[in-house]
Amino acid sequence: MRHSTERILTTHAGSLSRPPDLIALGKSIAVGETKSDDPAYARILAAAVADVVRKQRELGVDIPDDGEFGKPVGGSYDYGAWWNYAFARMSGFSPAGSPAAAAHETQHKKSGVADVALTSYANRRDWQKFSEFYQDPESSGSLMGSAARRPVGRPACTGPIKYTGQAALQADIANLKNALAATGAEEGFMCSIGPGSFARGVDLYYKTEEEFLFASADAMHEEYKAIVDAGIVLQIDDPSLPDNWDMINPEPPLREFKKFEQLRMEALNHALRGLPPDRIRFHICWGSWHGPHTTDIPLQHIVDLVLSVNAGAYSVEAGNVRHEHEWRVWQDVKLPDGKLLIPGVVSHATNIVEHPQVVADRIVRYAKIVGRENVIAGTDCGLGGRIHPQIAWAKLQALADGAALATKELWG
Amino acid sequence: MKRSTDRILTTHVGSLPRPDDLVGLYRDDAPDQKLLPRLRSAIDEVVRQQVQAGIDIVNDGEFGKAMRNAMDFGAWWSYVYPRLAGYELREEEKTKGRGAWTFGSKERKEFAEFYAAEASAAATASQGGTSTARLYGLTCAAPVKYVGHGALKRDIDNLAAAVRSAGVEEAFMTAVSPATLQILPNAYYKNAEEYTWALAEAIAEEYKAIVDAGFILQIDDPALVDIYDWWFSMNDDLSGFRKWAAFQVEAVNHALEGIPEDRVRFHICWGSWHGPHKGDVGLKDVVDLLLRVKAQAYVIEAGNVRHEHEWKVWQTTKLPEGKLLIPGVVSHATNVLEHPELVADRLIRFAEVVGRENIIAGTDCGLGGRVHPQIAWAKLESLSAGAKLATKELWS
Repeated sequence: MRHSTERILTTHAGSLSRPPDLIALGKSIAVGETKSDDPAYARILAAAVADVVRKQRELGVDIPDDGEFGKPVGGSYDYGAWWNYAFARMSGFSPAGSPAAAAHETQHKKSGVADVALTSYANRRDWQKFSEFYQDPESSGSLMGSAARRPVGRPACTGPIKYTGQAALQADIANLKNALAATGAEEGFMCSIGPGSFARGVDLYYKTEEEFLFASADAMHEEYKAIVDAGIVLQIDDPSLPDNWDMINPEPPLREFKKFEQLRMEALNHALRGLPPDRIRFHICWGSWHGPHTTDIPLQHIVDLVLSVNAGAYSVEAGNVRHEHEWRVWQDVKLPDGKLLIPGVVSHATNIVEHPQVVADRIVRYAKIVGRENVIAGTDCGLGGRIHPQIAWAKLQALADGAALATKELWG
Repeated sequence: MKRSTDRILTTHVGSLPRPDDLVGLYRDDAPDQKLLPRLRSAIDEVVRQQVQAGIDIVNDGEFGKAMRNAMDFGAWWSYVYPRLAGYELREEEKTKGRGAWTFGSKERKEFAEFYAAEASAAATASQGGTSTARLYGLTCAAPVKYVGHGALKRDIDNLAAAVRSAGVEEAFMTAVSPATLQILPNAYYKNAEEYTWALAEAIAEEYKAIVDAGFILQIDDPALVDIYDWWFSMNDDLSGFRKWAAFQVEAVNHALEGIPEDRVRFHICWGSWHGPHKGDVGLKDVVDLLLRVKAQAYVIEAGNVRHEHEWKVWQTTKLPEGKLLIPGVVSHATNVLEHPELVADRLIRFAEVVGRENIIAGTDCGLGGRVHPQIAWAKLESLSAGAKLATKELWS
């Protein structure tokens, strides 16, 4: 994996704004009107990936991805493609809306002390504290509404899980590799969901949660391995690590929560077995909807779990007002030698475009603690589907401009 | 004016969320016998709520300034036109809408698709019409004269009563600047300078009455910075803008003649709409002019990603002896709630540059009409929690 040896490199968290034709096709696939193996879809997707890689390079992104374009969205504001794409690549699930899945969608699982369980969206703790806000259709868009409109819900596991997404995955890999070659980019990355984030749904097949989790890990292993084998840096998206905290109601004792999450990190490391950490980056964020986020768990409580993942880089939300102060965590917790930190220095959480000097100040703060060569400038979360496309692109530009300012300051 | 002598004090920029029923009364242009009792009780409540949220220097939430929708951020200046004689509605200006107020904006050109999407969403959301939309077409067609004594007295009496019953030591009241007022077209005065001067003399009555009533006067003057984007950005005309702004400072000082400096605070921000704000002029380009305003405290947007780095401006520009800085350390620009530790970090940064006794913790802009009420109140709580943390660090 590239380090910032001569200057601060730039990347982002994955999702970028899809062009309208691709969004329309995604919708049509989601409702079953178009088949995912339709040749027209394959053609439009390949062209869109070529465009978006070129665009990232033009804006100054050093390590681009395919914008997650191979993960279909249901509309221009849709922040869920990063997880729901995976169900289409697995056998063993009954679709959302089927009787098996629907029965459990909104169920509130109340947590006991020793039996931590994830609850439904409307029972999340931040949601309950700010319920008027979350339910107000006219307040400045929590984005939760866009999730509710999505035709794709969460399917239920009703049989043995098996990875069946080879064709879609190979198409994504080929599209990205072609685009990287065409732009001469040295390195590209591809996102894939972590087992902890994937296996949050309803399981009606496996005997225990642990079995469900490890079966998911085994299935995801195939996707991880194929991405790494293709020479692409694998990014594991695992917001569930911090985000589950808010989904456990009432608030669990920290010790119990950490036990709950440790199992998920073990499952992830199991899924990453045999793959070189130097080709893997691990992304966490606290959920990308535009809410108050008052019940986000502090990074300091989970940083040991983050570092337990066998990855070479850690991509962490740090560019918004709930988490910006957490750069200090790295004063107390040493980033292990040879590892990289990819802090979010621009964010989807505000329409305001970060001033390049704000971006530079943030980068410099990290560089002074963990070493300039160990910092790559990133985004809080994917920008696609969370803010207007024009703002998303302007933010990537601000990221690159800020990285250039930071380079000047750090290399003199 | 109170200062942070033994701890970091807290205040905010002015607008707070109106209760739904009050918004409804304004939307329906309810008669005084319905509006006035509710206005009085709502101001009582909002002063108490501020005290509960840990705000030291409170106001009336700008409740006397009509907001006609839950999301409506123009009341801070639209309130004044019913208080001014000399304006009439002109159809040809009305059809231009907002367009009548700008010579083109680079930001709106660069982000045209975003702004078009925003405009259509806003049109759907505010079917009752925003307070600002009511100004479309208003044109100065006769000598400007302040005629708002009745409404002003009502606001002053309401705040005085609320402050008394809550036992608050210091309160502020906002009033609009001459620079902002001249955004509405002029068809009477010979030139812009004369128009501005007349506006300054008219609004001076409001300033004086607020100070005479024992309140801190806050002059809201976002125009002093955001007019760059509206009038000068297309030609990158910074020197033309500075010339314009220097005259606005003279005009506001003219309006402040005879008013003691230590009863005045002066607020600037770059416009509170949720846009990219890439076209905002830098604080460094206007700070010298800002400091010429005869106010003791400067209330400046500083808590969002376009302006957060500007605390450094105070490393090179000295805050004059005896003045106060009220930086925005929580903002309407994001639904995410500021972590108190971040609020403290921001305050400490300012305190280390200008001295702890010379800062008061504030907000970027009014929170009312710009974020959901639940979030607005939570942000004020974050503000005071952050000020407490900063106090601990700065006085330990």
